Amino acid sequence: MLVLRRRAGESVLIGDDIEVELLAVTQQGAKIGIRAPKDTIVLRKELKVTQQQNAHAANPSLSDLEQAIQKLRS
Amino acid sequence: MFSVETKYFGTLPYTEEAVFEFPHGIPGFEEEKGFVLIEAPGREAGNSAPLVFLQSMARAGLCFAAFPVLVVDRDYELAIAPEDLEQLGLDPGRRPDLGAEVTVLALVSLHDNALVTANLMAPIVLNLKTRRGLQAIRRDSRYSHQHPVRGQGSGRAEEAC
Repeated sequence: MLVLRRRAGESVLIGDDIEVELLAVTQQGAKIGIRAPKDTIVLRKELKVTQQQNAHAANPSLSDLEQAIQKLRS
Repeated sequence: MFSVETKYFGTLPYTEEAVFEFPHGIPGFEEEKGFVLIEAPGREAGNSAPLVFLQSMARAGLCFAAFPVLVVDRDYELAIAPEDLEQLGLDPGRRPDLGAEVTVLALVSLHDNALVTANLMAPIVLNLKTRRGLQAIRRDSRYSHQHPVRGQGSGRAEEAC
């Protein structure tokens, strides 16, 4: 992983058309701004993980669920 | 009395108190704006784990299974981002009262070897007053998306409900 030290107001360029600017640093965290082409998907990583996890959780097999719960109770 | 087509239980009657509006759906299911909370059949008889189901109102074929977070971890500590509290219609300045104001559920996933995990990182939070819900992704990394659910001995499941 490339690690850079930036101050508020300074930017990093990724490729030709993505800019990440460090806007402010507070005790709560760093505020960043991202300038990217409209078709570039920008997601908080935890949102992506949650999407994947939800897709996995959807429609569990009822018999597997019962079996798993039986096992939990034993 | 209304009724809803469900994934597992055929057509079920429900009351308005069982319906929760999700203005933004949940991640990956943004179009699902309404869920019915179904308590697992048999629970009253005491022969079932405190499992609940979140059935999509719009899509009969979509249902999630969930445990109340306290069943998974009796010491679970809520941490809901102020923006999420605001969206739920709750005071963003304080932690809501689990049980009285909100129900907090961890979506269940099944894995090989009958491993059951619950998503404690991004629980479903239901405002019992406004009947609004959302999936509140924690900002810290204190809990996992796949927290293993262990046996519920010592009657703690009953206690937590």
